[in-house]
Amino acid sequence: MAGVATPLPPCSITEIPRGTPKEGVPPVVEFKGVTKTFNANTSKAFTAIRDVTFSVEDVEGHGEFVAILGPSGCGKSTVLRQIAGLAPHHPPTRGEVLLAGKPITGPGPDRGMVFQDYTSFDNRTVLDNVAFGLECRGIAQKERYELAKEWIAKVKLNPVKDAYKYPHQLSGGMRQRVAIARTLILKPRVILMDEPFGALDPATRHNMQDLLIELWREVQATVFFITHDVNEAVFLGDRCYIFSNSPGTIIHQFRISPPDRPARHIMREKSFLETVYHVREILDGLEEGKT
Amino acid sequence: MEALRRFATRFSDWATIRDRPSALQSAVMSATCIALALFIWYIVTAGPVEERIVDPITLPSLADTVHSFPKLWFERALARGAIASLGRVLGGFILAAAIAVPLGICAGSFLRLNAFLRPISIFGRNIPIAALIPLTLMWFGLGELQKVMFIFFASVAFIFFDTVRSVEDVPDSYLDAAYTLGAKYVPRHGAKWAAIVGLGYAIVFGAAYYRLAQRPGPNDIELIAAWRIGFAQVSIFGLFLGFVLWFPPLAYQAIQKVLMPLAMPDVVNSLRLLFGLAFGYIMLAEVINADYGLGAIINLSQRQGPREHIYLSLILISLLAFGIDRGILTVQRWCFPYKRMGEQ
Repeated sequence: MAGVATPLPPCSITEIPRGTPKEGVPPVVEFKGVTKTFNANTSKAFTAIRDVTFSVEDVEGHGEFVAILGPSGCGKSTVLRQIAGLAPHHPPTRGEVLLAGKPITGPGPDRGMVFQDYTSFDNRTVLDNVAFGLECRGIAQKERYELAKEWIAKVKLNPVKDAYKYPHQLSGGMRQRVAIARTLILKPRVILMDEPFGALDPATRHNMQDLLIELWREVQATVFFITHDVNEAVFLGDRCYIFSNSPGTIIHQFRISPPDRPARHIMREKSFLETVYHVREILDGLEEGKT
Repeated sequence: MEALRRFATRFSDWATIRDRPSALQSAVMSATCIALALFIWYIVTAGPVEERIVDPITLPSLADTVHSFPKLWFERALARGAIASLGRVLGGFILAAAIAVPLGICAGSFLRLNAFLRPISIFGRNIPIAALIPLTLMWFGLGELQKVMFIFFASVAFIFFDTVRSVEDVPDSYLDAAYTLGAKYVPRHGAKWAAIVGLGYAIVFGAAYYRLAQRPGPNDIELIAAWRIGFAQVSIFGLFLGFVLWFPPLAYQAIQKVLMPLAMPDVVNSLRLLFGLAFGYIMLAEVINADYGLGAIINLSQRQGPREHIYLSLILISLLAFGIDRGILTVQRWCFPYKRMGEQ
């Protein structure tokens, strides 16, 4: 980001002090002491997250990229699905999840989500998959196809050759490109990504990360990004939350200075490697403390 | 020699689990089975009548059976019988599908409705099919209506159950994706299209009544009035039913655009398999009571001979059923190019 004046080297971190959010403009997403217990009051009761509190402010013309890290099974997905308003994680057992100051009542296209497993609609071509959200809005076919083709090109698929393919004819990376295109075409305020590149090979992953950074700068939405890959989190994140072991709660939050070069190059920088090392130490400590 | 090697298989291939034969090899295997069956038939019925291994009353010879074909085709009117049987099955089956498919889509989407309907579904799938014959005879008399309704009752619960399962099998993640992309409830869209579908139902139901209900003679004014009222009632009922059944699937975008299209290949596939079963059931009804149709031909051949016709009919019925099955499968593959199915 050229406009940021901090002289910090790329991808180095500073701890975010815990404090009450500023008065005035409500944060884009705010969690106030959110706890989620499944099967409450039964013998199978399971608390996925406890007392999660954070707020992501609305920065003018620049959405934040929030990377969420944590040991497996710590409730990261629960947080994401609560923002999306998807059952059964929504509504929370205790606490409040606010979107621009208002409680979330259910899912909506203002919060797009990209899932880890491929959820392209098998019965639709790439074009119809990307145009799905517009179709739900009732936009005429000609108009939505035009826009969809634009987005197919933006995610680096071929709008002529790939547009009429079915999902089963695509590779994993191409499917996730479709998933990103169909989410971003709706210009959501918040984008939720639950390990979207988890099933991809490392080379494809790097390409997808670069693509994501590029598109995110264009749409300027607030992104919540779950990953197990520390490299990915440090490369993509403006801000990074680390969750404790289950039941999960935030134990560290950092601000990370933004990357200025493609993933392949940045990931060899000293400042980047130091940050990754530091974060990995924390995570390893958590994994050890699990038993 | 080379050609021979291409479709000859080695024993080690036979003994390898899931080793896929080539298309040619499969065809050769199937042809061998048919040839073997015909050969055994030929062997056990060869020679003069008194020297045969199996006597001609139990099993007529292959040659006699083939030679009896013209008689079956012309005198017994095989083609007309086949069309009559097919018409009855189609009538009952389309009626059953018209109700059970949309109801199954609703029940697969709204699980409380499913729980409510489950007892009927279990009951319907577990009653002995043959027992429906005396029951439908009591309710609908001896005419065509009884045969159509027999097929309806025999297949409706199975179609419903398979449809529910197909819809339930669509993973939740597709629904989640649809919701985050803005799929919503659009009652106006649903009402508009459900009304159009309802109109189609009214026409189909009206046509069925026109075809199946006994029309009174032209002089009986009172009965004609009753027949007309019945016609109107059935048509209006069709309109109402079509609207009610199709409103939820068409009003919820998550069902209309996601659950229904994703479940549809499975639904159609199970309809194809169930149609094959229903085609077998109609023989059951026709053997017991019918003037014409494939079952009647078999029944007549058994009582009056020639016995060759029984075997011939059985073979031709299987061929017909197989042909229909392949026909539907072709349509299915054309409609759902993204799904491979029905390899058997």
